[in-house]
Amino acid sequence: MKETNDILDKIGRRSGMTVPEGFFDNFVAKMSDELPEIVPEETEQAPMTMWQRFRPYVYMAAMFAGIWCMMKMFGMLSGPATDFTDINNYPGVVTALSDNAFVDDYIYPDVDEYQLIEDIYHQSTDSIGEIDFNVLTDEIFNDSI
Amino acid sequence: MPRFTDKDSPELIERLRDASRARQAFTEVIAAYTEPLYWQIRRMVANHDDANDILQEVFIKAWTSLENFRGDAKLSTWLYKIAINESLTFLARERRRNNVSIDDEAAMLINAIEADTNIDGDALALELRKAIATLPEKQRIVFNMRYYDELKYEEISEILGTSVGALKSSYHLAVKKIEEYFSRLD
Repeated sequence: MKETNDILDKIGRRSGMTVPEGFFDNFVAKMSDELPEIVPEETEQAPMTMWQRFRPYVYMAAMFAGIWCMMKMFGMLSGPATDFTDINNYPGVVTALSDNAFVDDYIYPDVDEYQLIEDIYHQSTDSIGEIDFNVLTDEIFNDSI
Repeated sequence: MPRFTDKDSPELIERLRDASRARQAFTEVIAAYTEPLYWQIRRMVANHDDANDILQEVFIKAWTSLENFRGDAKLSTWLYKIAINESLTFLARERRRNNVSIDDEAAMLINAIEADTNIDGDALALELRKAIATLPEKQRIVFNMRYYDELKYEEISEILGTSVGALKSSYHLAVKKIEEYFSRLD
């Protein structure tokens, strides 16, 4: 395939562009002077501080302390097994029993249940008094009619 | 206008890698590549002042990233890549600044060519610059490398990372469009 035509042959490699007088010489001199300094990258590592050296061990100790505290806390939350027979586990009861008036009013250690029922019966009959059974019978008869 | 030829020797590469001798070696690189790189950039951006600024950027970038130059590619190829990337970045920035789409880049470049004061008055050459400006970006780069720098397709392929076949196709399309441009002028 033909790569050029008559026009391109006629023009040749001329571009028609120019540069100011001495441009290339000046550019080379100026550019060479203006090259920035290249600072080599720091490859040597800075020495480790004391804290950096011990930091992993401190973190590890803190982790174990945390675990210990956590286990302690869970133990406290769940607490020891409660002894339901120990009166000291019932502070309200202990307070009440230490009050003599309460004990006199509510605690009857030697009460005889038969005697207690007898007393209640007699107290009730005393308060009712004599009952007229004839009047009572008439009232029942009239109500039924 | 000098052809963009390979000016790097193994000895120069070795000195560039030696920190104590790199600066002196890079000064030699600047001396050797200033002119060919300048023309490559100038053809892309049209304006002398812009080309001057971009060329400085290219050398600063190459100098500061010298350690990235592995030596498996040619120094000329590496510098060429940097120059093209910097030029394309500049054009993209200009498009954004002027609110111009990539399709309208030709008009922007033609304006820059017409405003260029560093010209020798060769009307035909000026018209060719305008014709090249109308090409799509890839074809423009390929045409400049092949036509002005007379690079081989294999060399262009190494720089642009495009297959030789695609480059040949791009170049022939570019030539065809330039022919059409001139036929419209008649």
